[in-house]
Amino acid sequence: MANAVQTHESVAAADAHAPHAHIDHDTNTGISNTKLGMWLFLASECLLFGGLITTYLLYKHPLEGPTPKEIFDIPFTSTSSFVLLMSSLTMVLAVSAIERGDHQRLRIWLGATALLGATFISGQIYEFTVFVREGLGFTTSRFSSAFYTLTGFHGVHVTVGIIMLMSLVLLSLRGKLPEHRAETVEIIGLYWHFVDVVWIFIFAVVYLIP
Amino acid sequence: MSRRSLGLRIFGAVVFAVIVTLFAALIYAAFQNDGKPLDTFVPGGPSSKEIQNLVIPVFAIAGVVFVGVMGAVLLITWKFRTKATDDPEEFPEQVHGRTGLEIGWTILPALILAGVAVGTVATIINLNKKEDKAIEVQVAGQQWWWQYKYDINGDGNFDGPEDITTATEMVVPAGRAIQVTTTSNDVIHSFWIPGLNGKKDAVPGLRSPLKLQADTPGVYRGQCTEYCGLSHANMRMLVRAVSASDYEAWVANQLKDHAADPTDAKALSGKTTWKALCAQCHVIKGVNDEKMKTAKVPLTSGVAPDLTHLMTRGTFAGSILNLYDPVDPNDPSVTLPASDIAAAGYPGAALTGGNVDVSRVNRVSLEAWLRNPAAIKPNYAQGGRGMPNLGLTEAQIDELVAYLETLN
Amino acid sequence: MAIIEALPTDQLALPGAVTSDYKPAGVFTRPKAGGTGWKSWLTTVDHKKIGIMYGATALVFLLIGGFEAILIRVQLWSPRGTLLSANAYNQVFTMHGTTMVFLVVMPIGAAFANYLMPLQIGARDVAYPRINAYSYWMYLFGGIFLNTSWLLGGGADGGWFNYAPNNGILYSPSHGIDFWNLGLIITGIASLAGAVNLIVTVLNMRAPGMTLMRMPIFTWMTLVTQFLLLFAIPVLTVAQVLLMMDRTFHANFFNVAKGANPLLWEHLFWIFGHPEVYLMILPAFGLVSDILPTFARKPIFGYPFIVFSGVAIGFMGWGVWAHHMFVSGIGPISVTAFSLTTMFIAVPTGVKILNWTATMWGGKLRFTSPMLFSIGLVTMFTIGGLSGVTHSVAPADTQQTDTYYIVAHFHYVLFGGAFFGFIGGFYYYWPKVFGYMLNEKLGKTNFWLMLLGFNLTFAPMHILGLQGMSRRIYTYDAGYGFDLWNKVATIGAFTLASSVFLFIFNIFYSRSKAKSLPPVGADPWDARTIEWMIPSPVPEYNYDPIPTITRVDDFWYRKYGETKDGKLVRIAATEDVVQQRSDGKHIHLPSPSYWPIVASFGMPIVAYGLIFNLWLCLVGGIIVVGALFGWVLEPPDDPDAAHEDHDPAAHGSDDGTVVVNAGEVAEAGDVAAEKEPETVG
Repeated sequence: MANAVQTHESVAAADAHAPHAHIDHDTNTGISNTKLGMWLFLASECLLFGGLITTYLLYKHPLEGPTPKEIFDIPFTSTSSFVLLMSSLTMVLAVSAIERGDHQRLRIWLGATALLGATFISGQIYEFTVFVREGLGFTTSRFSSAFYTLTGFHGVHVTVGIIMLMSLVLLSLRGKLPEHRAETVEIIGLYWHFVDVVWIFIFAVVYLIP
Repeated sequence: MSRRSLGLRIFGAVVFAVIVTLFAALIYAAFQNDGKPLDTFVPGGPSSKEIQNLVIPVFAIAGVVFVGVMGAVLLITWKFRTKATDDPEEFPEQVHGRTGLEIGWTILPALILAGVAVGTVATIINLNKKEDKAIEVQVAGQQWWWQYKYDINGDGNFDGPEDITTATEMVVPAGRAIQVTTTSNDVIHSFWIPGLNGKKDAVPGLRSPLKLQADTPGVYRGQCTEYCGLSHANMRMLVRAVSASDYEAWVANQLKDHAADPTDAKALSGKTTWKALCAQCHVIKGVNDEKMKTAKVPLTSGVAPDLTHLMTRGTFAGSILNLYDPVDPNDPSVTLPASDIAAAGYPGAALTGGNVDVSRVNRVSLEAWLRNPAAIKPNYAQGGRGMPNLGLTEAQIDELVAYLETLN
Repeated sequence: MAIIEALPTDQLALPGAVTSDYKPAGVFTRPKAGGTGWKSWLTTVDHKKIGIMYGATALVFLLIGGFEAILIRVQLWSPRGTLLSANAYNQVFTMHGTTMVFLVVMPIGAAFANYLMPLQIGARDVAYPRINAYSYWMYLFGGIFLNTSWLLGGGADGGWFNYAPNNGILYSPSHGIDFWNLGLIITGIASLAGAVNLIVTVLNMRAPGMTLMRMPIFTWMTLVTQFLLLFAIPVLTVAQVLLMMDRTFHANFFNVAKGANPLLWEHLFWIFGHPEVYLMILPAFGLVSDILPTFARKPIFGYPFIVFSGVAIGFMGWGVWAHHMFVSGIGPISVTAFSLTTMFIAVPTGVKILNWTATMWGGKLRFTSPMLFSIGLVTMFTIGGLSGVTHSVAPADTQQTDTYYIVAHFHYVLFGGAFFGFIGGFYYYWPKVFGYMLNEKLGKTNFWLMLLGFNLTFAPMHILGLQGMSRRIYTYDAGYGFDLWNKVATIGAFTLASSVFLFIFNIFYSRSKAKSLPPVGADPWDARTIEWMIPSPVPEYNYDPIPTITRVDDFWYRKYGETKDGKLVRIAATEDVVQQRSDGKHIHLPSPSYWPIVASFGMPIVAYGLIFNLWLCLVGGIIVVGALFGWVLEPPDDPDAAHEDHDPAAHGSDDGTVVVNAGEVAEAGDVAAEKEPETVG
């Protein structure tokens, strides 16, 4: 007995001092569950977009129908990409606003972010309409299928982001987004930045690299 | 915990004995290669021998490891079992691990595998070596048969007038390298002649190389091994290796056409029926091949097998039926896949363009096939995949067979 | 099945405690906590109940998949079998593989992960209890959706790997492949949500002192498995989305006429598919690594080596996928590269086998049913591993791939490996989960019968394959030498089926006998990990108090001390160190919710809509979106189930009653739902 490492009494005493509730508010990593979950989700999303981008790269040269070179309007898409990138800036401003407790600014910047996102989506819808009119239907060629699927998937992600931003604005208006909930804004911001960063890749791969 | 009862002990021992016997029987069976035409352990050419030479030592190593691990586990479970006399509160020595030992048994398998890796890389290089003066053959899979195109004049094109298109069976000269290129007309298939080499997928839109060479004349059977839909099981093929002189004669005959009408009246009306019903999909050189170059074929994937020299083959319908020598006159769907030439529906003199021995033609199967192909080999004829039931009368079938018998 | 004893609601409720000004609007109340009837299972967010539901559902699908296997074996009993048509056979083997992989083996792994992992790390529940429930319902509805294809025009007929272009509308015009595709997208969402959930749980919710290197090996393997899922599932989803675009909207991803490359599908499928293999086997490895030390009565040999070899398998598993494609025409350089990576993934696997053997060496082995199944895994998996090495040798693989040799190989891995481990795990954990032991005599009979049936079924397939029998053929001819061993395999399949039925019989038999036996107590096996220190069956609140962990096998060292020279001495009676069942009044648990089941119910409706009528998609979509909004808007707690230390003010807006983040980040709602009241109050 003397050689035993410890006695069970000491162990039991340690248990009693352990928090009897679960330790969610004081996580092992120091990152909240929600934020860690979002990071993991976004890591998984990387593979999703990675797969779609790879598919596009494989199929970017069509056997028939309009080619990327013929159809893309680079200045137009550059402008709408710029709009989307600016929305990351307003998102950062929104997060900093709520951390300062400035709810008025929070709503303004969230609204601005959503508006910029919506502008980008409008641009995408306009672009798709023009492409279809020029003879690039979804089923026209391997390029068209890959192009619409990749950019459409991204567009859906932006749209979901806009819905979440608008919900935050509504919550804030009803006074249900106090400072200590700032992390919720930050986490939705993470999603939004991710969607923007993915667009940089898509824009480069699809529009810029010949 | 309850002690093991006697019944359980006996049951466990019996199961153990059965499993040991089973494994012994399986190892014995691995060496029994007769009457197994698809056996991978009977190499008939340099490529398959190369693989065999690699596989045997790998299996030997795996066998040693297998015996070692099984022996160790059996020994341990016997030696360290708890005995009825043991004190339940007495514990074995508490060993948490030994780092040196563990590093050792991480490195040891890595070294063994490194040895295997060297042999593997060398074999891959050898198998992919390009052979000079190889005969170029393009093999195309199609639901559910194989098409072969020979580049006889060596111009890199398989469709010239001096080239050969045939189906189901690939005729090659023994002792000469064949450079096969696999491709597909519809879904992915896999071309596999175990006696001559490993398999290679036939992927639509892709062209993949595969080297074949048979050392001695004989029949080397194969089976499509990539699942390709409904009749995947019925998609077979064979390589018929013949002497160099027979091969020359075979090529010369294949280059001929069958434009001339048959002299026999029954065969002639069979030809009329053929032109009316079969010529939409099948090709006979000199009869409809020019027309078929521009025709809209009602098949999803391509044309149906070229019938110009049908009777020079020993099998038909995706190589599941004998064209000569019915195996069982009462059951038209039975084929006997033996490895010797005679039983594999050997076409005899017809192979090189000689006369067809009409008395030996497997009319039972041929007629049954014409009567209703899907009954023997399931297909989706209504979807443009496979041979439809043409609703032929018995008289028409009789005439058609008479015509087909002239296609030497 | 309702074995978990829950505390009666009236014990938890404190009348008058609810003075919250929160006014729930109609449907936005949460179901009462602590119910025991069937309804409590529909709304439960308890990881233990969800784990049990995973296991029970997987066993039902096992019977379906097993029945399909029996059909296959009867068809192949003799040459030119006539039981099934070619078409029926192709559907049956496709659905057999799909069911066993996605609806049986993966979910049993999820069942153990759900039930055990939070217990092994000393957590109250998983990080997002509602998302956990959502994962289960998505799996269930996805599985049911997949199997309704039998009634709606036939099952998928493309094989579980479903290569393009054979999976296209041109070559498979029936709806079977649509069901396959959409059903697996649904179960994929379930797996992905589960992966995020379980990873966060392991990383964030460990008990005090439970460092990563003190975690039980099963928890480690769960962590690796869930990371594999996290990254593998989206790749499969990409492939399936492309296929859906092709089949439903006539895109050109696999249309060769428009220049598509059929190998795209193969690459995407196997980038998912090979990690998939490891994520099926690793949970079983984890179980065995916990069972062997218990019955050898000595610690696992080389804990860090076992852990790191598992992690190494997880990493290396991403670099071997093209060994499924050695004959697809990918070129000799790729073939060489993938041949070498595949060989060397055998090293960490071999390390595990040797460590298990070394764990038994020098022990005092008790051959209980769990132990027998674990030894079964060690030996049978070794055979599967060795045949695996033979086809990492690419030239050999060109002879072996797509023959029955491969069928033998992966059944030795997935049945002899994963499934033996799972059955061992069932026997081991049954008393912990349900409070009664499974009969040991039947259990051992079960083991020997299963070992016999398993070997009779799959060992002959090695020879069949090497002697040329191709996979996925509905028939073969006499004269190929396939007759004898096919007959043996079919006899084996029936033996195997009888052993599965014996297992199910044992469940009901032992349950009926249990009433007359003394209660099993917290620690019937004299086990090592901390889940054995809490009462059996596990109380709803898991631990009270949460233990503080000081080393690997913490519970063992509460019972025993170890001298410097490796001698073990008892320092406490088991009864003194196990936890007693408490009333759990002071413990706050997440409330049940209606929304997970509703939100997941919408998904198959969307899927039916994609197949039959796009208007149905709208109906399903409204259900899904509506349920998600209900989800994020519902109060964090059932207002009637307050606890003594529950500050009612916490229900106000301060607690973030409504964290609106629709769509993918709905999980945020869960943390609000669970946040400890005392931290806010």
